[in-house]
Amino acid sequence: MDMQRTEEQQLIIDTVRKFIREEIRPLEADLDPDAYELNPEDDERLRAMVKEMGMYQMGLPVEYGGPGVDIVTRTMLAEEMSQHRAGLYAPAYGAFGSSPPEHLYKGTDEQKEKYLYPVIRGEKHAFFGLSEPSGGSDPARSIRTRGVRDGDSWVINGGKLWNSGADTADFGIVYVRTDPTKGRQGITAFLVDTDTPGFRVQRLVQVLRSHYTTELSFTDMRIPHSQILGEEGGGFALANDTLAHNRIPYASACLGIAVYAQELAIEWAKQRVTFGEPLANRQAIQWMLVDNEIDMRTSRWIALDAAARAQRGESFRFESSMAKLLCTEAAGRVIDRCMQIHGGLGMAKDMPFERWYREVRIRRIGEGTSEIQRVVMARDLLNVRSGS
Amino acid sequence: MRIRKDWSSWDPGMSFKTLPGAMGIYEIADEQKNCIYISYAGGASPYGLRGELYAIFGMPAGADKWNWSHPHPESIPAEVKQRAKYYRYEVTHNYYSRWIEDLTRFSEDYETLPELNKLATAPRAPHLGRYHWKSEGI
Repeated sequence: MDMQRTEEQQLIIDTVRKFIREEIRPLEADLDPDAYELNPEDDERLRAMVKEMGMYQMGLPVEYGGPGVDIVTRTMLAEEMSQHRAGLYAPAYGAFGSSPPEHLYKGTDEQKEKYLYPVIRGEKHAFFGLSEPSGGSDPARSIRTRGVRDGDSWVINGGKLWNSGADTADFGIVYVRTDPTKGRQGITAFLVDTDTPGFRVQRLVQVLRSHYTTELSFTDMRIPHSQILGEEGGGFALANDTLAHNRIPYASACLGIAVYAQELAIEWAKQRVTFGEPLANRQAIQWMLVDNEIDMRTSRWIALDAAARAQRGESFRFESSMAKLLCTEAAGRVIDRCMQIHGGLGMAKDMPFERWYREVRIRRIGEGTSEIQRVVMARDLLNVRSGS
Repeated sequence: MRIRKDWSSWDPGMSFKTLPGAMGIYEIADEQKNCIYISYAGGASPYGLRGELYAIFGMPAGADKWNWSHPHPESIPAEVKQRAKYYRYEVTHNYYSRWIEDLTRFSEDYETLPELNKLATAPRAPHLGRYHWKSEGI
């Protein structure tokens, strides 16, 4: 694979890098240590600036009015955009805009009018409802939320867990078991408005990071048949396809905080003197810095390889799982070493390490645990599939 | 340090989505902008800072149609609800240590706890040290 960036890629990357360093990082000095939003006036100003630069919603396909930046470039950009304190979960605090959930491109024209275009315009927000208290790693078996057809509608009962953003979303893509006899072919995706009677945000679930997820309950929630996304029984395939795609930039974003942490650690190692010599002269520190570099470069290669395969239309499920596994775990090791190099300062809220340490730990679980990624890869290696 | 933000007045017409559901600490002020209560939205808070602030200032008309509601609004002392006019908050994962820090700072500045933190119905303030931190320009 050619790792050389094209001229266009380099230009976009340089622009984003400058933006993060000159516009985003200085603002963080005045924000709460765990903040995940900018002040409204800064948010508005930066979004306007990004739009002016023609870099808003870069992943949006050309046919929907976006620049249609390819997945390889987006993978590179995910690494750039996360290089600040809040970068892992709030890259550039959303100044570059977010693209709609890919599922929505597969909706009907009516569904696109009602959901996709408002999301593109920033008028509506979506959440993703797959995991349940009964489990998330094996949705084919663990989805117990049940939909029963009643005329032109479905009556849905059950609940979801770990739904980020559901409390502020306008609608969600909710996976429901519509035929208990058909295993993974019995799962259907529904577009569910959050003001539907019977839809309740049961509680906000606080986790390691300052942002939270939600627990939802559905009680006799009546959803029209026309709200099915894709085909009845086609929900699992829809989810699987999107999850594999999302794993690549998700993985790459982890490298961004690792890159920034390494920069800070190198700078600190050069200036911090112990026993009469800078830390940078100590072999123990040098080895940590080198191990960081090895972790980052190998993971980056794997993430870009997965992205390149996806872009060429080749099978990339194995590679995207490997990228997710490697990048999340490598970033965890890098952050841990950088904290160690900084000593007490590494634990303080004055520095971003403690936040990254907590947040990057979640990445080994979110979007499929490390163990599930290994299961996915093993299935491909052994050419076996479990489940119905 | 104290919360470094201006006081916000409560706007019943705002979208609840503008308040974070995250963990954090908050200060409540009376009509004269005197801080009268300092508390937090912790890991067990059902709707984070958003839920706590709505429990204090009250749910607006039409909130019965929202898809959430604080299950224990009575956990907030009635005096806080009656006198609350302004608020400010800080999103932080370290809500408990920041709560102690903010109370300590207040206590150093004014040689007492915020008025409504002394109520028997308020969450019991932890033992506070003395750090001679007096704030500048309080």
